[in-house]
Amino acid sequence: MLLVPDWPGDRVDRTGEPLIRADGVWKIFGRREDRIIGTPAAELSRAELRAQTGCVIAVRDVSIRVWPGEVFVVMGLSGSGKSTLARTLIRLIEPTAGRILIAGMEVTAASPAELRQLRRHMVSMVFQHFGLLAHRTVIENMAFGLEVQGVQRNERLARAREMLRLVGLEESESSFPDQLSGGMQQRVGVARAFAVDPKVMLYDEPFSALDPLIRRDMQDEICRLQVETEKTMIFITHDLPEALRLGDRIAIMRDGQIVQLGTPEELVGSPADEYVANFTRDIPKSHVLTLRWVMREPVPEDSTDGPKLDVTTTVRRALPALAAGEKPVCAVEDGRVVGIVDRATVLQAIADERGD
Amino acid sequence: MASVAETVTPAPIVVHRHWWRGRLVQVTGIVALMYVAYRAWAIEYPWPNDLVWNSLSLHLDDFQVWLLTERGKEDQSIVFTVFEGFSSAIDHLVEWFNRLLLWLTWVGTTVAGVALIFRFGGLRAATIMLFAFAAFALTGLWEESMQTLALMLVSVGLSLLVGIPLGVAAGRSAGFRRAIAPVLDAMQIVPAFAYLMPVAILFSIGPAAAVVSTMIYAIPPAIRITALGVRGVPVSTVEAATSMGATRMQLIGKVQLPLARRMILLGVNQTILFALSMVVIAGLIGGGGLGAVVTSGLYSNPALAILAGLAIVIIAMALDRSTEAIAEQTDPAHRHLDETRKRRLRLQTLAIVGTIVAGVGISKAFGAAGAYPDEAGNPPHTATIEEWLLTKIQVVLDYVQDPTTWVFAITERVGIFILQQLLLPLQEFLMEAPWFTTVAGLTAIAFVVSGLRPALTTLAMLGSIGFTGIWALAMDTLSQVLVATAIAVAIGVVLGVLAAESNRFSKVMRPVNDLLQTLPQLVYIIPFIYLMPVSIVPGSVAGVLYAFPVTLRLVERGVRDVAPTSVEAASAFGASRRQVLTKVKLPLAGDAVMLGVNQAIIMVLALVVIGGLVGSGGLGYEVAQGLVRGQFGQGVIASVAILALGIALDRVTQGTRRSRKEGIA
Ligand SMILES: Nc1ncnc2c1ncn2[C@@H]1O[C@H](COP(=O)(O)OP(=O)(O)OP(=O)(O)O)[C@@H](O)[C@H]1O
Ligand SMILES: [Mg+2]
Repeated sequence: MLLVPDWPGDRVDRTGEPLIRADGVWKIFGRREDRIIGTPAAELSRAELRAQTGCVIAVRDVSIRVWPGEVFVVMGLSGSGKSTLARTLIRLIEPTAGRILIAGMEVTAASPAELRQLRRHMVSMVFQHFGLLAHRTVIENMAFGLEVQGVQRNERLARAREMLRLVGLEESESSFPDQLSGGMQQRVGVARAFAVDPKVMLYDEPFSALDPLIRRDMQDEICRLQVETEKTMIFITHDLPEALRLGDRIAIMRDGQIVQLGTPEELVGSPADEYVANFTRDIPKSHVLTLRWVMREPVPEDSTDGPKLDVTTTVRRALPALAAGEKPVCAVEDGRVVGIVDRATVLQAIADERGD
Repeated sequence: MASVAETVTPAPIVVHRHWWRGRLVQVTGIVALMYVAYRAWAIEYPWPNDLVWNSLSLHLDDFQVWLLTERGKEDQSIVFTVFEGFSSAIDHLVEWFNRLLLWLTWVGTTVAGVALIFRFGGLRAATIMLFAFAAFALTGLWEESMQTLALMLVSVGLSLLVGIPLGVAAGRSAGFRRAIAPVLDAMQIVPAFAYLMPVAILFSIGPAAAVVSTMIYAIPPAIRITALGVRGVPVSTVEAATSMGATRMQLIGKVQLPLARRMILLGVNQTILFALSMVVIAGLIGGGGLGAVVTSGLYSNPALAILAGLAIVIIAMALDRSTEAIAEQTDPAHRHLDETRKRRLRLQTLAIVGTIVAGVGISKAFGAAGAYPDEAGNPPHTATIEEWLLTKIQVVLDYVQDPTTWVFAITERVGIFILQQLLLPLQEFLMEAPWFTTVAGLTAIAFVVSGLRPALTTLAMLGSIGFTGIWALAMDTLSQVLVATAIAVAIGVVLGVLAAESNRFSKVMRPVNDLLQTLPQLVYIIPFIYLMPVSIVPGSVAGVLYAFPVTLRLVERGVRDVAPTSVEAASAFGASRRQVLTKVKLPLAGDAVMLGVNQAIIMVLALVVIGGLVGSGGLGYEVAQGLVRGQFGQGVIASVAILALGIALDRVTQGTRRSRKEGIA
């Protein structure tokens, strides 16, 4: 089982400006949607509001920040508002309230032309149901984003061919989408999004329609592309292993609200509520939790000559070192011992994941 | 920016309350009350003269005179200049096409037509087209056929020019869709015969009037089907393109139109068929061509009228098959062209162009005539089989009208039965019953079947019919419509159920249905003028034939669509096939039957009023008189009454659920 992120947890520099910033975003579907926010009705639960006004709150007061190079995962059950949130970011769905900034541009105040520029050059989206153009070949599909931008035919086809190689579809260049398998179609979807070389990639449950094996392949592919191209990604999924595997940080949504936002180990280690705990229950904790999570403060009498491991090492990876000697493991950060992990702690952590 | 992401809302759970059962009883009750009133006060209360606008007809005549003088003036107002300009532009366009087809010579036209169809539609379609040209030539109707083709090209072209953009707009915007829906409804409810008069007055008789009335009839399907196609483009695809920053024009041009292509081509196909079915009526207002041969030959030369009718049917079939084949063959998503095939196609195109140029050039060099000649050779002998065909047709006509044959014995008896047992009693009932019980009764039925608003509309429509002073005529027409609809629905339901239960029967019925639905309306009537020459019967019987296929289709689909789970559940209880049919399928298919009634009644109305040309009397006769004798005021009033009757009948039968029309193409 491979749940460990392929990159260390703190690889993202969060000291600068966030690339994407959403403040207090709401989306309510229904008539007079804008009249609800700020009234007592906005406090009602989704079901109550629907019964009273016929409106559905899809996204409720969501604020997120995503820094350059980060993989930000949004997770939640079906209907929790994930897709709606993602779409409001580039105003495929008009947010009812809130402010959205991407790369310094105020999306919520953008003119149609500015919005088009944003969609053409800054953000690309990959969809659950692919959204390929059935009347065009694979290569033409991949070149579509550039075609929309007005790039010359030869130039865009050349770029699309690069993409074709990137996702390994050289053989299918002039096939039509209906001649490809689901996995191949989504590769086209991903390549199409990459072809315009955006800064931000939005994935809306890109692999939900694929079977598990293909899905794993595609996740690997995304990881590889992420490492190669250093894009910022917002990745939507309802699959926790996928979220843990890809996400630097994960936001868990329920009924339109973010109930918890944190790193994988924060979610697994201390779920905010029953809803989150339900998600993480079946996840083997030792695969996700790092030493930082289980260690205790060093006290002067601790011997520090045991094996030294980085604090970001997962418990599972630390197991061999612990088993090898009698000494507890020292968790090291920046060359300094910041914590001690002994057998008892680890056993406790592993025992927890057996579900009490 | 409008949001393009519409997630599909879950289908509402439909609870079948078998509403129509209760309503059937109520409707019967209302009719019984009407009958009682009729028995009590027959003839005592015709529509009162105080409630009639008697001078209306004169005003309309005045208006027409005014229009004519305005038009004739040297210094017309700008409105008339524009209007005249439009009208003569269309006239010229038709004329130009007509001359082009003759300029190409009959050989050139044939070569060009067949070659083009071959390039885009394939061998089969080209063969059918060749057969059609041969038919035009051999029937000696070449010139008339070319006139009709020219009229078609212009009418269909303009209809598409208007219909496709509107359809795209309707497909993209729900608001626009809602806004034009009532207009489209009205355009399809109103029998074409009813707007001939106003169009003839406005455009004066000639090709322009013919083109405009054809367009009124043919534009709605173009809009509807295009809109359906654009709406059918997957939301996810549109959203993806939007997410890449496509502009509205890019979205339409690169995504929605290409993906809606198949439907749009189906729309073209339907537009052509709708337009063709207007050819004959258009002949009444200056359309010329085959239509004029039919309408003028109705009495003077029935055999020729039938021959021209057949030629129209042949054009319809050829164009139907060709457009279908073209849609199929040129679909990029299914053609999967590789480089070699592309090259071959390019070569083929060159060859086709070459063939056409050569064909035209050679035939012109050898001095081929514009139209296929009636006589050829030296010494000249006839080159067509027109005479032979006409005598054959005449033989058949004579046979069916010979009182000593068994055919005549059957048809006459059926005709007399329909007349004496059905048409006359109902006509008497509706014309002689007190006007207020009829108005109240029909309004009440509309209320029971369709609800309050339809009832109010019905009341208003009936009121306006009475007010314009042709209540009795309208009741005459109504009686014919009701009888024909009842028969059509009975036949449609029985055959529809059979077709739903038996695949073999369904397969047999399909071509019959197709044929019946492609025939131009007037062509239906012609045979019955001779088969059942009993006063008003031909119009009604033709109405039955015109309308029952639609009911059949709807009922078949309705019964077939009954959820298999319901059927399974019933079978699990041990219900016999018949019980399943009567207790499960038919009740659940009730909506489809209601829709069938609604469609049938409108179609029957269209035919019954055309029947006015051949002795059906009623409103249709008034319009015919208006057209033929130039009694414009009276004709326009009758047209408006037909319109009102159409709307009223539609509202009475529309039922509570307006699930109609979307899928009926
Ligand atoms: N166009 C719309 N009109 C009305 N309600 C909508 C619309 N789109 C979404 N909703 C509602 O908003 C809520 C959130 O929908 P959303 O599609 O964002 O959920 P999701 O988390 O993406 O679910 P899934 O995992 O099934 O994709 C749902 O209750 C849905 O019914
Ligand atoms: Mg979703």
